[in-house]
Amino acid sequence: MDNKGLSLTGGPYWLVLVLVSSLLLCKNVASVPTCPRGAVNCEVPLGELFDRAVVLSDYLHKLSSEMFREFNKQYAQERRFITRAINGCHTSSIPTPEDKEQAQNMPHEDLLNLILRVLRSWNEPLYHLVTEVRAMREASDTQKALGTQETFAMQEALSTQEALTTQEALTTQEALSMQEALRTQGTPNDILSRAIEIEDRNKQLLEGMEKIINQVQHGVRRNEAPSPWLGLQFLQKADEDTRLFALYGLIHCLRRDSHKIDNYLKVLKCRIIYDSNC
Amino acid sequence: MDLEIDSSSFWLFLGQSPPGKPEISKCRSTEKETFSCWWNPGPDGGLPTNYTLTYNKEGNPFTYECPDYKTSGPNSCYFDKKHTSIWTVYIITVNATNQMGSNTSDPHYVDVTYIVEPDPPINLILEVKQPEDQKPYLWIKWFPPTQVDVRSGWLTLQYEIRLKPEKANEWEVHFAGQQTQFKVLSLYPGKKYLVQVRCKPDHGFWSEWGPEGSIQIPDDSTNTDTTMWIFVAVLSVVVCLIMVWAVAMKGYSMLTCFLPPVPGPKIKGLDIHLLERGKSEELLGALGCQDFPSDCEDLLVELLEVVDSENQQPMQVHLKEHPNPRLKPTPLDPDSDSGQGSCDSPSFLSNNCEGSQESPSIFHIPGGIKEPGNPEGNGAHTWDSRSTSVEGRVPYFCADGPKSSTWPSSQPPNKHNPRSSYHNVADVCKLDPGTAGSSATVLDKTDKCSLTSLETTETGGEEKAAEQRWVGSFHSKTDPDTPWLLPQEDTSVISAKPLDYVEIHKVNKDGALSLFPKQEESGNQTEKAGGLKTRMEYSKVARVMESSILVLVQDPPAPDLALFEEPAEEAPPSLSQNQEEKDLAAFAMTPSNYRLAGLDYLDPTCLKHSFQ
Repeated sequence: MDNKGLSLTGGPYWLVLVLVSSLLLCKNVASVPTCPRGAVNCEVPLGELFDRAVVLSDYLHKLSSEMFREFNKQYAQERRFITRAINGCHTSSIPTPEDKEQAQNMPHEDLLNLILRVLRSWNEPLYHLVTEVRAMREASDTQKALGTQETFAMQEALSTQEALTTQEALTTQEALSMQEALRTQGTPNDILSRAIEIEDRNKQLLEGMEKIINQVQHGVRRNEAPSPWLGLQFLQKADEDTRLFALYGLIHCLRRDSHKIDNYLKVLKCRIIYDSNC
Repeated sequence: MDLEIDSSSFWLFLGQSPPGKPEISKCRSTEKETFSCWWNPGPDGGLPTNYTLTYNKEGNPFTYECPDYKTSGPNSCYFDKKHTSIWTVYIITVNATNQMGSNTSDPHYVDVTYIVEPDPPINLILEVKQPEDQKPYLWIKWFPPTQVDVRSGWLTLQYEIRLKPEKANEWEVHFAGQQTQFKVLSLYPGKKYLVQVRCKPDHGFWSEWGPEGSIQIPDDSTNTDTTMWIFVAVLSVVVCLIMVWAVAMKGYSMLTCFLPPVPGPKIKGLDIHLLERGKSEELLGALGCQDFPSDCEDLLVELLEVVDSENQQPMQVHLKEHPNPRLKPTPLDPDSDSGQGSCDSPSFLSNNCEGSQESPSIFHIPGGIKEPGNPEGNGAHTWDSRSTSVEGRVPYFCADGPKSSTWPSSQPPNKHNPRSSYHNVADVCKLDPGTAGSSATVLDKTDKCSLTSLETTETGGEEKAAEQRWVGSFHSKTDPDTPWLLPQEDTSVISAKPLDYVEIHKVNKDGALSLFPKQEESGNQTEKAGGLKTRMEYSKVARVMESSILVLVQDPPAPDLALFEEPAEEAPPSLSQNQEEKDLAAFAMTPSNYRLAGLDYLDPTCLKHSFQ
């Protein structure tokens, strides 16, 4: 009896002791956040930061790719839109490396700031993307009727940074087919959910990038202006086709930019953490 | 007349036309640094057609032509590093031109970012690792394709392996992530495995499966052993079941096969071999003797001297009366014991006789018992040969089988003579006198058993003489003190039970049994001795010579068995009737040689020569 009593009372204490000791010992486990929120002097190792950043960027690109594929399947034929979407990304004004050499020649800080700038540029577009896709879902639920004719106005408006050299008018046929597609197909739930997820992860990645930069640049910050996005007006156009084309452009650029960010981060990680020996 | 012929019509007339519309089929980049495009040429219109590829880049108003038509093969365009931009849309068109005209393909929009499909991994290494106390596992190692730059992080590859036993249909696929090695734990021992690896960039297409690697998994001996033992066990069980079944079916006959039934009593003295040989005479004789004891009277000596352990007195037992005991197949009859204790020949014999027959008979009545005192030559012959081969000859005592003879045989001590315990007179006689000592020694050893066994130190050993069997006489030339005189020393031991049977010493050629007559008949006074009751061999005493020499009756063809019992210590050897004076004399001359304790018996055979 005595033993039992001892064990009963001693058990919890012992367990607590074990847990506390394990917590202390497992301090450096990567999966456990080492810096609680709000800590001032806590510093997560750079390698860990990069690992997390790479995970996020990789995920972001995957989501973007899937969304693009879904969108094309549901709403548009890529070939047609892509013709018009050339050079239509609002982040084109940010000079980014276009091949491996350029990427390897760019210094860490430049590259890091570049990434940060691109990420920031996407905050607003992503917000509107979600809004728009959500609205579209609601609209498709109510079986919104599409307009008859499409105009080129939307295209022109989309090319904010550079003028579109060639433009193609949407024929009545294309518009009709798009309307048909909208009527027959279901609501873009998956597109919406992905859009929402992308928006969230983008914010997370932004936070991580700022942390990385803080460590790499030791607090020296460059406040470079993000690229503005001027496609909002087209997204809010009544014309379905215009909206769709705007969406297409947005999703197309998102896919590209997320790939760029992911690639740059991986190069930086291998360069900084592994000394170019991944 | 002017015929205006349209040139194109002219060519059409000839079956030629402008080329068909080419089509760009595929563009691929293996490392995201260069890329190639391939097109399908349309019909060439029967004329040599020239293909050109032109392209535009996103954000670049200029049109460029393909920098390299060769590297990637026919109908291809290879864009090297200089001409490749990532995250840029290329608008590519192919122009086919022949004499008739030209044709242009649809523009193809391609961004190198999304067309990355690397080559398969290289340098596949397969190894079976067998750590101690663990199951062996397959270790697979490979390297990324040569062109891909993984080290700088430009491309991040993920791998997938697949393996299967050589003969299997389905591949076993494993995702290996970004590592370039893999362990496979679930293996079939003894099989040959095929392994392949492929890779995929983080946002690209899977490569083709690499070249097949094969490896032989070594046999797991334990398993093999286990399997083998299980197989053996199952086989044994099956065999046992079959045997049980067979036994059940043919129970008795099988039993008989393995465990032959104990033979019934055997007619003592009836040699099976006689049956085989068909010597009816002997057989009948043997049979007759047994069945009709009365008829055996002739064969048997009238008198038998039986030593009774109780009274230490030799009892005369007519053979008739106790024919059987003698002939009993089981010699182990204490009553019939000659009284020498356990060493008595009958029991002794029985104990020790092995082999010759189921039960060593006290003695075998050699082939027909014809007549008493008519030892036949063959008997002697038998005797002679007895030592050599018992088999078909004459049954005799304990033919084979080792036994310690109650009568120490003249042979090396303790040698198991195939002879029966009853000493073969002949054999004894054969011995050299020189062996007397040995025999005496033997006697010593067997001293408990006062053997009257033939001590035949006596030479003699003529074969023919085999008459007297039971010459219980030890001719010991040794000292009277020699031990074998049980009687002297250990009378108690000696006091064996009397043998109730007559001992047949030999069988004549005619198959007659020659028995030693009891002494009394001839007025022997032996017997008594202080109980030297070893089995005695008796012969008929014809007369007594001198004071203490007995002359034994001897058959003409065969020497009589000379048997005498020496009442006195010193006992000159008995002499057969053959009165070889000299022999007698010889015997007499060496009375000291013989130590007759109690009843001392001479092996008649030894004396045979003297007789004859």
